[in-house]
Amino acid sequence: MSNVLLEVRELTTKYVTRFREDVYAVDHVSLKVEEGKTLGIAGESGCGKSTLALSLMGYYFPPLHYISGDILINGKNISKMKPDDIRKSVLGNEIAYIPQAAMNALNPTRRIIHFIEDVMQAHELYITKKDIYNRARELFETLGLPEEVLHKYPVELSGGMKQRTVIAVSVLLLPKVLIADEPSSALDVTSQKMVIKMLRQLMEKGLISSLIFITHELPLLYNVTDDIMVMYAGQIVEKASSKDAVFDPLHPYAKGLMGSIIVPESGLRDVKLTAIPGVPPNLKNPPAGCRFAERCKYVRPDCRTSSVHLRDVNDTRTYRCILPENELRDIYAKEVAQNG
Amino acid sequence: MKQIIQQIFRSGKFIVGFSIFTTILLVVIVYPLLIPDPPLNIIGQGTFFEPGIYVSVFDSISSPQYTLNLDEAAAKRIASKLGEEDRLAIKEWLIASGIPEGEIEIENTEKLLDQWFENYDPAKNIPGMTNAKRNYFIRLNKAITGLLSDEGMSITVKNAETGVLEEKGTIVPSAYVNVNEVPNVRVLPLGTDNFGRDVLTELVAATRVSLQIGFVAGIIATLIGLTLGLLSGYVGGVVDDVIMFITNLFIVIPSFVLLILISFSIGQDQRGAFTIAMVIGFTSWVWTARAVRSQVISLRNRDHVNLSKLSGHSVVHIILTDILPYIASYVVMALILQISSGILAEAGLSILGLGPRTTEVPTLGLMMNWAMIYQAHILGKWWAYFPVIITIALITFSMNLMNTGLDQVFNPALRD
Amino acid sequence: MAVDYIYVEVILRAYRKYFLNKFLWFLVTLVSAFLLNFILPRLMPGDPVAAIVSRLAQGMSNTSGIQAIYEQYTELFGTNKPLLEQFVIYVKNVVQGDFGFSFSQYPRTVADVIKSSIWWTIALQFPAIIVGWLIGNSLGALAAYLRGSFDKVFMPISIFASNLPAFGMAVILMVVFAVTLKWFPTSGGYGFDLIPNFSWKFIWSVIVHYQLPFWSIVLITIGGQAIGMRSMSIYELNADYVKYSRFMGIKDRKIVSYVFRNAMLPQITGLALSIGTMVGGALVAEIIFSYPGLGSTILTAVLGQDYPLISAATLIITIMVLSANFLIEIVYGFLDPRIKAVQAD
Ligand SMILES: Nc1ncnc2c1ncn2[C@@H]1O[C@H](COP(=O)(O)OP(=O)(O)O)[C@@H](O)[C@H]1O
Ligand SMILES: [Mg+2]
Repeated sequence: MSNVLLEVRELTTKYVTRFREDVYAVDHVSLKVEEGKTLGIAGESGCGKSTLALSLMGYYFPPLHYISGDILINGKNISKMKPDDIRKSVLGNEIAYIPQAAMNALNPTRRIIHFIEDVMQAHELYITKKDIYNRARELFETLGLPEEVLHKYPVELSGGMKQRTVIAVSVLLLPKVLIADEPSSALDVTSQKMVIKMLRQLMEKGLISSLIFITHELPLLYNVTDDIMVMYAGQIVEKASSKDAVFDPLHPYAKGLMGSIIVPESGLRDVKLTAIPGVPPNLKNPPAGCRFAERCKYVRPDCRTSSVHLRDVNDTRTYRCILPENELRDIYAKEVAQNG
Repeated sequence: MKQIIQQIFRSGKFIVGFSIFTTILLVVIVYPLLIPDPPLNIIGQGTFFEPGIYVSVFDSISSPQYTLNLDEAAAKRIASKLGEEDRLAIKEWLIASGIPEGEIEIENTEKLLDQWFENYDPAKNIPGMTNAKRNYFIRLNKAITGLLSDEGMSITVKNAETGVLEEKGTIVPSAYVNVNEVPNVRVLPLGTDNFGRDVLTELVAATRVSLQIGFVAGIIATLIGLTLGLLSGYVGGVVDDVIMFITNLFIVIPSFVLLILISFSIGQDQRGAFTIAMVIGFTSWVWTARAVRSQVISLRNRDHVNLSKLSGHSVVHIILTDILPYIASYVVMALILQISSGILAEAGLSILGLGPRTTEVPTLGLMMNWAMIYQAHILGKWWAYFPVIITIALITFSMNLMNTGLDQVFNPALRD
Repeated sequence: MAVDYIYVEVILRAYRKYFLNKFLWFLVTLVSAFLLNFILPRLMPGDPVAAIVSRLAQGMSNTSGIQAIYEQYTELFGTNKPLLEQFVIYVKNVVQGDFGFSFSQYPRTVADVIKSSIWWTIALQFPAIIVGWLIGNSLGALAAYLRGSFDKVFMPISIFASNLPAFGMAVILMVVFAVTLKWFPTSGGYGFDLIPNFSWKFIWSVIVHYQLPFWSIVLITIGGQAIGMRSMSIYELNADYVKYSRFMGIKDRKIVSYVFRNAMLPQITGLALSIGTMVGGALVAEIIFSYPGLGSTILTAVLGQDYPLISAATLIITIMVLSANFLIEIVYGFLDPRIKAVQAD
């Protein structure tokens, strides 16, 4: 087994809304990412994927608050570090983040190179502007981005170029783990492909060691990731290798979600995850028992009352349901038989 | 809907604004029921009577009298009669009589009078005193002694036949009447204005009229703005270009300039409160039009609108069911803003002498205008203008708070 | 590969386009203002111009003096000619600065009356608005940044202050500082016993008389600007680039400087758009102090039924506001780097 770069144990964080209500958007999440591997995180909108991404950085500001759990990067527990130390030595250096709305991630009134200077100077006090420029130019060259971009304001760049610029800036300090939150949504198909290609490149060229790729567009995941984690209502509901998660999901939610992946390539982008009727529960007061019970085809009375835990199938596979693996498989098999 | 209202009422700012505003509304509605006097009735002969309780002297005399022996009555009586000038004169005399200045407290009436009676001697001559001054001191002494005497005053009535004055009764200094037994007592909590009108009654009526002006102006402006904004945003193309051209034009050309020009041209006789409200409405729709347009543009290509288009619904139907409900909150907020700025616009116009005709109804602006023309602020007659300013500020303040509250609920990006 | 960024060789060209656009728009608004100023009174039921003409025809103005003034006006502006012709004459006269005689201050000309009051207004209002804008924006930014108790105390005060009409603030300042404390004079632009000249005494008197009107406009402006800047800053603080910058480890102080710069830019546009309203409020405040500016001029004109003076004063104010607006847009063009990018599209 190779080196575990990122390990998260029972991480719980919450939002405090304006009306002082608590929203537990990440609820006892544990995960591991090994060196050289890509982890996919899937789930409908509002399931807590973005919040998980933010929480993984270990650097919290309102309305998001840390509750409990550990984040270990390369064995170092960053949840015990002081915020300013995290800022200086973890953010960007160890772990970096590409926000969901990368289009708006750059300060509109600052030239790219000046922003890069701000980033570098926040980590290395004595670096000269000339060094920064050379480093940025080299990186941009490696990633196939034109040097002129450095001198431009974000408004002068197209959407795809902005997205790629953000990616480049994110890996400026050679972080070990990169978290990309829906990096390709809201882009046209060509730009989307380019972005995915670029993320792959980052791994190949050794600019990053591991990638966490968040999306609600499942077709992307199978091609890009090694493992997939499915989130529902702030919790992990299934974690498996990409192949298992896509072709042999256990959790009914994962099954519903992956149902749409078999659709032929062409119209893929338009398949919205309406395969499962209903919407995720409001996390202000999540339902007791299984959080998916409300929408589950196979729901039983005790689903709503008894607490459900993660069941480990093997070392790398786990899911959250009151039913054991064999019973679930039986139900699925019967259903297939019925439908012919 | 219920949930939205609950959310709104969870916003502290909205609640504060709403409470202030409803209180104002309640006062405006209830007060005339309790005191139905016409607001522009001139009740006082003279200008700017101070706030207070006015008791009929005539009725007091014929009311049952009671004797109360109160120790400080005499001193108080004198205290209220002795002016600043008299006190200084007394001090002058006392100093001349050899009392050290430090021992004289001109504000302490009792002590001052004691010292006066001890030291005053009409025969005494202070060096350098003129004859006039001397007579003044004699008069002063007489007045003070008169005030202190226990003798009382007699009430006389002229005999209709003989023309002789006949004593009907006397009023001793210790006689009191019970205010409750005097048939004519008028409370003027805010005194009277320059024309002698009850300021409070006038203020309540003015608030009502100003609110009406604000509402009419706000509704006209919102209707125009909404219509133009919807047309411009939804129809687009040339219609949009033309409407936006006009809107942008009227955004930079200051509306109060148009207001002045129009109000002046309409002429004093034609300017009723309603006309003013209309003019304000017609000159202040631009912001609403702009806001509505940008909202509509962002809605225009949403899925539900497209779906509605595909199902062949008419433009009117789409606007009514697929667009209006989504911008309703903005429109309400715009309306609230328009109402409060309409009230301010009326006030500004009135101060410029371009407000509604002055003979029918008071408005907050007109009251302010009158107070300024008669220099209430320089004369220190605060009750003529200060309540007006406070009322205007409270109305706009409460409406703005409500707006901020709504904004927080509907625009979560602006947290707190 | 598609060209997915825009490359502008000459940034200047973009700037020129921006300024040219703004200038054209300035001209258009100017012409429209002329048109409105001419046409609005003539459309109204009480049309003051027609009233002048009819009173002249009926010989109703019994005093021959007034009759003469009306005649001069009718002749100068050709008020009994067709409308289009009148407009041409009107524009020609106005461009030459000839507005005829003032009805209420005869034999002074309107141009003369305006000339003697306009500088008071300009010297009072524009500095006051700019100072108020600067202070208001700094306080608003501070409130957004510090939050907590500063925000909790400062914001309600600003909201209340900004809801006070300008004349209300003027009256309050006057009663407190002029009537009660007697620190400043109650009214006028200089001591009533002085004749305008360049003596120290006169200048001092002007400065003393300037304070209360100035600060009442400043205070009013502060309230509104602070609220605007505060919510703009909070909005920016929640922007995606702030989150990203934080996660790239950039220091808070730096991020705050991003935020305030970006929040400031819309405030400049806001100033351009609201300067008209501000000037309106300030004119009324002038009246409270009997300041010898255009506000008081309008008041005397209204009281004296002086149509030519009203017409000229409103036109001049409009031109002032439009020019201020234009100037602000030009300044904005230099401050916002995005302008040239957007213009190049
Ligand atoms: N700033 C916030 N304040 C309160 N609740 C929030 C905030 N941001 C997101 N949430 C809530 O947290 C949950 C998870 O949101 P998010 O992480 O954005 O989901 P995803 O990325 O999967 O779409 C949702 O229920 C959402 O309503
Ligand atoms: Mg998300």
